Amino acid sequence: MISISHTLRKLTRQIEPAFYIAPSFVVMAVILIYPLGYSLWLSFHRWTLRTFKQGIPFIGFENYQQLFSNPEFWNSLRITFTFVFLAITIEFVLGMGLALLLNHDLKAKGLIRSFILLPMMCTNVVIGLTWRLLFNYEFGIINYYLTQLGFGPVEWLSSPKIALWSVILVDVWNTTSFVALMLLAGLQSLPEEPFEAARIDGANSVQTFFYLTLPLLRQTILVALLWRLIDTFRIFDVVYLLTAGGPARSTETVSIYIYRYGFQAFNLGFASAASYMMIVIMLLIAGILARAIGRSETV
Amino acid sequence: MSSYRLIRYLSRLLIYLLVILAVILSLAPLVYLLITSFKEPNLTFNLPPVWIFKPTLQNYREVLAGGQFEKYFVNSLVVALSTTAIALFLGGLAAYGFSRFRFRGAFWLRMSALIPQMLPPITIIVPLYVLFNGLKLLDTRWALVISYLTFTIPLALWMMIGFFDDVPIELEEAAMIDGCTRLGALVRVSLPLVAPGLAATAILAFLYCWNEFLYAVILTGREARTLPVTITSFMTNKAILWGRIAASGSMVLVPVLVFALLAQRYLVRGLSRGAVK
Repeated sequence: MISISHTLRKLTRQIEPAFYIAPSFVVMAVILIYPLGYSLWLSFHRWTLRTFKQGIPFIGFENYQQLFSNPEFWNSLRITFTFVFLAITIEFVLGMGLALLLNHDLKAKGLIRSFILLPMMCTNVVIGLTWRLLFNYEFGIINYYLTQLGFGPVEWLSSPKIALWSVILVDVWNTTSFVALMLLAGLQSLPEEPFEAARIDGANSVQTFFYLTLPLLRQTILVALLWRLIDTFRIFDVVYLLTAGGPARSTETVSIYIYRYGFQAFNLGFASAASYMMIVIMLLIAGILARAIGRSETV
Repeated sequence: MSSYRLIRYLSRLLIYLLVILAVILSLAPLVYLLITSFKEPNLTFNLPPVWIFKPTLQNYREVLAGGQFEKYFVNSLVVALSTTAIALFLGGLAAYGFSRFRFRGAFWLRMSALIPQMLPPITIIVPLYVLFNGLKLLDTRWALVISYLTFTIPLALWMMIGFFDDVPIELEEAAMIDGCTRLGALVRVSLPLVAPGLAATAILAFLYCWNEFLYAVILTGREARTLPVTITSFMTNKAILWGRIAASGSMVLVPVLVFALLAQRYLVRGLSRGAVK
């Protein structure tokens, strides 16, 4: 009798976490299982606006073959990776600077943080449109004052060479504060002893930063990086409202590319194949990062 | 000694100057939007830019005319609030589980909770459209609430783990010894203690929903439309009505501003808790 009630209790204890954790996972799975399954199915079928009434034939890997031989797909991948790399690099450099600044004992700290936090909390649609207004070639105030200063009007959104940089600029404006505030929280949770030891040993501030602060912040940096990668990789609305992927596809990220095939050309099979490639790439990158986070957590 | 103090003074001055610069850069585009919203539409593109003018409510009146904006405001509010409530309940419960139980595979399970958040919306929007079409849910608030749960549950889960970790497990154990069940201990002891974290999480989840555009533009039409979609409706084929965009944009940003001022401290902590242990 004792052993039965003992096993029973042991079993309940093992199942107990599921009681808390399972509902979330079940709900998410129920919502996502159909969309994910259906788009996988679609990616192996021909579904275009012109042909779907005659049926949706199975075509094997044809969508994927077309995708891989489509130079615009590779273009969109290249642009996405360029964008992700440049934007995140700039955001982390600026964000680290800002975090170090805010880590000083400042007056009106709360108010400063609130103001700096604002851009990351703003509606993307509003951000995209506001910057489109600011970037306006003829009438925008940025070009007006640049011209006054003798730097001439810049084709912020209309030159294929500059447009991607403009989008990066907006993203940097939008999310540097997120990076900064996460790093700041990391900085504030660091133990003080190693820094005192370093000071006693005569380390200068540059050495302290690179040999002490950065390694200690590793975990924070990796998690911030994960969040930023997830968000930047799929960026849609800001780009859509700033440039809609133009000019000459110079800002066409993968999301915009899929949007074009899915909702302008209504080639749903093809768009689904592209979607699956995007999901696979995202999960691969996230998986690598998650492993790094897991490893540094156990250290 | 005095040169040392001078250097200290100067470096402090530099820090403040840089911080002020960061604040100005953060605010300038938003201030410009707000100013534009009070300008008469024909002044928007005046060159040189007009900074001193008689403020007018004309843009706001035009946006609010017809009562559509209020309707879409209610949509945005209802969708964001309901999603937040559901996500907080489910995500909070799961976060509690992750925080209080150690079991094999917990780390990877926690990471996999982020997968729905990682799925780029554009990749699942087509099948979601088909699904909601089949369920007769297109252009309803339900369609948005259901879609938004895919990214708010992971957010709530991820943020709340850290806040629950902060509550000493001994407090709950004491309550359980006194005869509380674990659930009772959670509700009576831990929940009040994580209230600030819960608030921060709620605010962030609310804003994610409030700001969302892609799902809303594809899944809703005249009935369930939300505010971000409404703003883009002022970009017509003929012209971009900047005055109305500025006015509606400013109104949409009001809750953002309020929350940023109210909750910045907890937001920062909440965002980083997943990282800093």
